[in-house]
Amino acid sequence: MDPRKVIVCRCENVSLANIEEAIDKGYTDLESLKRYLRIGMGPCQGRYCLVLTAKILARKTGKKFEELFMPMNRPPLTPIEFKFFMNKSFTKR
Amino acid sequence: MTLKTKLLIIGAGIIGVMTAKFLVDKGFNDIVIVEKKYPGSGGTYRCATGIRASFTSLEHVELMKRSINLWPILSKQHNIPYKRGGYIWLLSRPEHVELFKKIVDFHHKHDIPTKIISPEEIREIVPTIRTDNLLAGVYDPLAGKASCFLSLLNILEYIKKKGVKVIINTPVYKLVTRNHKVVGAMTSKGVIEAEKILVAAGHGSKKILDTIGLDLPLENIPKHALITEAYKPLFDPLLIDWQTSSYIVQVLHGGFLIGANIEEKPNTPPTNRIDYLFLAANIWTKYFPWLPYVRVLRYWTGYYVMTPDHHPVIGPVEEYENLYVATGFSGHGFMMSPAVGEAMANYILGQKQNIPYIENLSPERFTKGKLVKEIAVFG
Repeated sequence: MDPRKVIVCRCENVSLANIEEAIDKGYTDLESLKRYLRIGMGPCQGRYCLVLTAKILARKTGKKFEELFMPMNRPPLTPIEFKFFMNKSFTKR
Repeated sequence: MTLKTKLLIIGAGIIGVMTAKFLVDKGFNDIVIVEKKYPGSGGTYRCATGIRASFTSLEHVELMKRSINLWPILSKQHNIPYKRGGYIWLLSRPEHVELFKKIVDFHHKHDIPTKIISPEEIREIVPTIRTDNLLAGVYDPLAGKASCFLSLLNILEYIKKKGVKVIINTPVYKLVTRNHKVVGAMTSKGVIEAEKILVAAGHGSKKILDTIGLDLPLENIPKHALITEAYKPLFDPLLIDWQTSSYIVQVLHGGFLIGANIEEKPNTPPTNRIDYLFLAANIWTKYFPWLPYVRVLRYWTGYYVMTPDHHPVIGPVEEYENLYVATGFSGHGFMMSPAVGEAMANYILGQKQNIPYIENLSPERFTKGKLVKEIAVFG
């Protein structure tokens, strides 16, 4: 299948070809690849794309998947509207 | 591993990378950059990407005027998204308007075209904003924003192509000296020998310089920021609510990035606090009636590496030959990075500086009691 038509990151519309080209350019760590292509920075927060990207990276660099896949989860884990934080204050118990 | 290089840069943040860029442009490319984690992993990737010259000290103003001249050039050279969309300071109290009148006078003396604008004028620049509580705004048309990811990555790609070696996931444990001269750095992968060393490792610089008895008064203050889903461009300027010391900016990718000030203890690790989300929502949903229906995607904590006078520490270290420092940007390192990178390259090559007052920011100013003064008290 044409790697330009295989979508890896649906939120930011990043294809397999985009990822392979970036790796060839020297983006061989997941953190830099993520910022360069914005993989994992859309509404899914990397839930679908980061594992796939790490796998592609492992295949292309010959490194172990465990070595490459070190994601940081940021709250809220799912997108949430501002209205849920309005007119209330949160105090520590 | 034993590596030999003419220049070792500790820290692959925007300051270290930008310095290497200006050196490479002048034909100096025997450079090794060593980074504890990955490029940009400290302050650079956590910053709000704003760029402004509307400060209140001569040093900041001169540095930032140079930086603002360099940003469009860098943007063209390295394909970095950059936009001069301005800043607006939102003022809701008479005493703040009086203070800013003085600040605007100071800016005019130094060729920064800021001006006081009315709530109606704010609404013209920022459609959909509610200005019921506002008395005035201060508009800084020279200010802008850039992509912090592509600024770093595109320049990094460029300097690597020119021969600069970048070693990641490698912390520096200590500096190695001989006869009051630094000769290298001990890292987790062995010693890197160098003729000159630039320490540009954010708050980590303190620990590294401690190993040769240099005590820099740096404090790490956690700061909080969030980003929303991306939307089409709605307004250009970065808005600062002066009353609450909080800002909102639509980054070039489309998300709204909000920073709000909650009290934090210095030198504590950056930890997420849910009360920050409530604070940010309460401040900015009052200004924008549509904001309650926008989704928060992510929330993270970064840090300001603060000095006692809130100005950076830039320059050669007097006590040690061939040692240079660039740190303590107190939350403004990204915006200053082009001018600082250029200045550090000049220091390292022994060339003349083109930014006035830059020598005032030397590391020795703390021990000599020559702290840089602010014209007006900010924050």
